[in-house]
Amino acid sequence: MRGPRPAHAAGPAFPMRLTVPVLLLIVLVAAGSAPAAQTSNATLNASINSAARLSLSSAALTFPDADPDTSPSIQAAQGPITVTAKARTSPNGTVTLTVRATDELRSGLNTIPASNITWVASGAGFTNGTLSATTAQPIATWSGSGERTGAHTFFFRNLWSYATGTYTLTMVYTLSAA
Amino acid sequence: MKKAVWSGVIAAAVVLLGSSSAFAQQTAGASIAVTAHVDAKAKLSLSLATIDWPDADPDVVTVFTSAPVTVDVKARTSAGGNVTVTVLASGDLTSGTDTIPVNTLTWTAGGSGFAANGANDKTTAQTLGTWTNSGNHSGSQTLSLPNLWSYRTGVYTVTLNYTLTAP
Repeated sequence: MRGPRPAHAAGPAFPMRLTVPVLLLIVLVAAGSAPAAQTSNATLNASINSAARLSLSSAALTFPDADPDTSPSIQAAQGPITVTAKARTSPNGTVTLTVRATDELRSGLNTIPASNITWVASGAGFTNGTLSATTAQPIATWSGSGERTGAHTFFFRNLWSYATGTYTLTMVYTLSAA
Repeated sequence: MKKAVWSGVIAAAVVLLGSSSAFAQQTAGASIAVTAHVDAKAKLSLSLATIDWPDADPDVVTVFTSAPVTVDVKARTSAGGNVTVTVLASGDLTSGTDTIPVNTLTWTAGGSGFAANGANDKTTAQTLGTWTNSGNHSGSQTLSLPNLWSYRTGVYTVTLNYTLTAP
């Protein structure tokens, strides 16, 4: 609510043609010349919660049949699988990526241990490893938030002792940001 | 006169680091379907391709005996599948029109799954070894032929054909 107009103000405070930019200019000039200032603080809160996102370059991995004598270790037909892990965590929080097989390699009643699948890794924080159907195996570990990319090349140990068949399993990757 | 002036202020941006609720553990998952193809195959190898017995006095060398022939068997088959190695002679030992019956050419063998002894045959394949399931097996076979005074002179030959079967 406006206060009473000064006594010396004979006419309206502003001529009718006075425009808004002029009004602003006047206020700013008055502020610059004021000997005292009143301050007020405004607090901005930005909430950044922990988050994790994982992507793989392929959803399938195939090991073709081969002669165990000439190919004792078969590389996956897809070549290296690229892994992109994005995580937001507390400062120096641990970010881990693990993989576990849902089961042994299975073809009907026949099985081949999942441990016959191994990988060779590249990329900072990524490590080589052996697949397991019982224990999640570490693929990579980092500290703090960030986006990391690496690759694994998978190999299948090719033995004469396997019964013929088409064996399958699913590898489940889990990215955790604490 | 009193002037109220607001100074534009944004004092601080406070980032909620360290908030326990904001930094509860987060997880993300992905999966890959893995397929490994294991097809049937069989591989047979012999350490010798030729056995050559020189002439000998039947009174001194009553039996021609070969060096042991190593037989390596590798097979991939279905679970419970039978793996078999058989030997079939191409005929009798022959020198022109003269012959020595091939069933006098006998063997002894060693190794798991190998028949301990046997005689070659030109009409029916003889079993040298049998196994169950996929795997590799190794054994040795030693061939023998009696050295008789009754043989006509000549250079007698025969071919022994080995067959590995893995269904």
